[in-house]
Amino acid sequence: MQEKENHFIKNIEIKNFKCFEDFKAEGFGRVNLIAGKNNVGKTAFMEAVYVNVHSQDVNSIFSVLYSIKFVREQLNILFNDTTNDKMKFFENTNNYFSDSNIRKVSFEVSKIDGKKSYIFEWGDEKREINARDFSYDFNYLPNIDFIDNFGFADMHIIEAYSSIQRKDEEFYLNNLLKKFDTRIDAFKIIDEKPQCKVNGEYLEIIEFGDGIRHLLSIVTSLYKCENGYLFIDEMDNGIHYTMLDELWKIILEVSKKLNVQVFATTHSKECIESYARVAEELEDKEITFFKLGKNQEGELKGMVYPYDWFIDSVEQEQEMRGW
Amino acid sequence: MVRVFVEGSDDEKFIIKLLQDLIKSKELELSKKINFKSYINIMGSKKNLLDDVQSKYKQVTKEIELGEIKKVLFIFDCDFELDDKKCNGMKNSNECFDKLINNLDWNIEIEKSKHLHIFNKNLDYFLVETINKKECYEHFDRLTECLDVEKVKPNKKPIANLYRDLYPYPQFDFKDDRFRPLKDKLIDLFKGIK
Repeated sequence: MQEKENHFIKNIEIKNFKCFEDFKAEGFGRVNLIAGKNNVGKTAFMEAVYVNVHSQDVNSIFSVLYSIKFVREQLNILFNDTTNDKMKFFENTNNYFSDSNIRKVSFEVSKIDGKKSYIFEWGDEKREINARDFSYDFNYLPNIDFIDNFGFADMHIIEAYSSIQRKDEEFYLNNLLKKFDTRIDAFKIIDEKPQCKVNGEYLEIIEFGDGIRHLLSIVTSLYKCENGYLFIDEMDNGIHYTMLDELWKIILEVSKKLNVQVFATTHSKECIESYARVAEELEDKEITFFKLGKNQEGELKGMVYPYDWFIDSVEQEQEMRGW
Repeated sequence: MVRVFVEGSDDEKFIIKLLQDLIKSKELELSKKINFKSYINIMGSKKNLLDDVQSKYKQVTKEIELGEIKKVLFIFDCDFELDDKKCNGMKNSNECFDKLINNLDWNIEIEKSKHLHIFNKNLDYFLVETINKKECYEHFDRLTECLDVEKVKPNKKPIANLYRDLYPYPQFDFKDDRFRPLKDKLIDLFKGIK
């Protein structure tokens, strides 16, 4: 579990990870919306931060590196939970370095004279482990989640929903679902499947549009990530623009109440404008906007807009979706 | 990305009208749907525009460093030396601008002939001089002279305001040669924008 105080990422340096050769950004807040053109590295940036905050021992580093590959590939591969598969996924990231206000983390696959080893560094600790001796055991930290653009699988929603149940806030989720789809009267886990009640009958969430799954993933994991971190890729995916204010209100209010640092990506102007509108309405100055783009030399650069700059830029209708 | 810095919202409206006219006359090859507002920064006053410590400039400095903003244009009024403000009058305005650019120290080309436009006196003065029906303006001008308006308030805002009250959407004669220098700067600035 993370410490309650000062666990937020404020600045980070990323090297040799995906599109990030030597990248620095600073000034992050409690909630951070990331924008930029296609393939500029929005998701990769969140993954780099995710790895940094999730790296607390060898197995949590293995788990998070494995997880980011798995999330990206899960639609393309037939997953077999074998040691060989785990190793393949894990080694896909053969180099990683980040240094944040929380900790320094690095990982490297070293091959010397036919001997393969994994070199892990986190905080002040360093371990080199022969690949043949490595135990591919998962250690996922419970209050750090990464939601991809389609949302969680049923199993993950069930796990996250228990956090809402523990806080007796089921009614809050039911009211919210009703706002998103007036036909929905209630949400329950029945026969180990997330289901919504419509016209007196419970239906599996697969019967609804993508938006409901994404929404359930976001809201349930906000509760699960108390005093931790939540990463949401393409947060408005499947969500109608008229519901964005409602969604941002939940994210800002719950993240504040439960001390969750949120990073989210979007391509949409409506989502950016809604974020500004709701932050202003709630007078939430702990938010930032992060824009990614490339300079003339093709180098990846990022700029964090604090609350005032962001609100002013949106009011002046400046292009905030990247350059 | 380019950025235009102006004093107030009236300046912004005027620049947008002129840019739209440039598209209409095909001098600028841009979509009619382009949101020019997104390229203009309203600084609030001439004082703010010439003040390098403004928060807006800190933001723009960062955007230039990152390569997002590549070209800029500053547009402001010269105003009247009579007002005895340190940046009023053409000479003082130029000096204050030089100081601003020096302090901002932006790593992009800023050449006064291309990236600065100072209105002689002020925008209102300029616009009233270029409206259609010049004979009416001249008549109006004689009237204000007779009433010593400039002695009471040494600029032409009362006249321009009256004109705008009568004609909320004044038909400025953008073909007037006096628009040419500003048009050229705007064309050069927006050239290549998609």
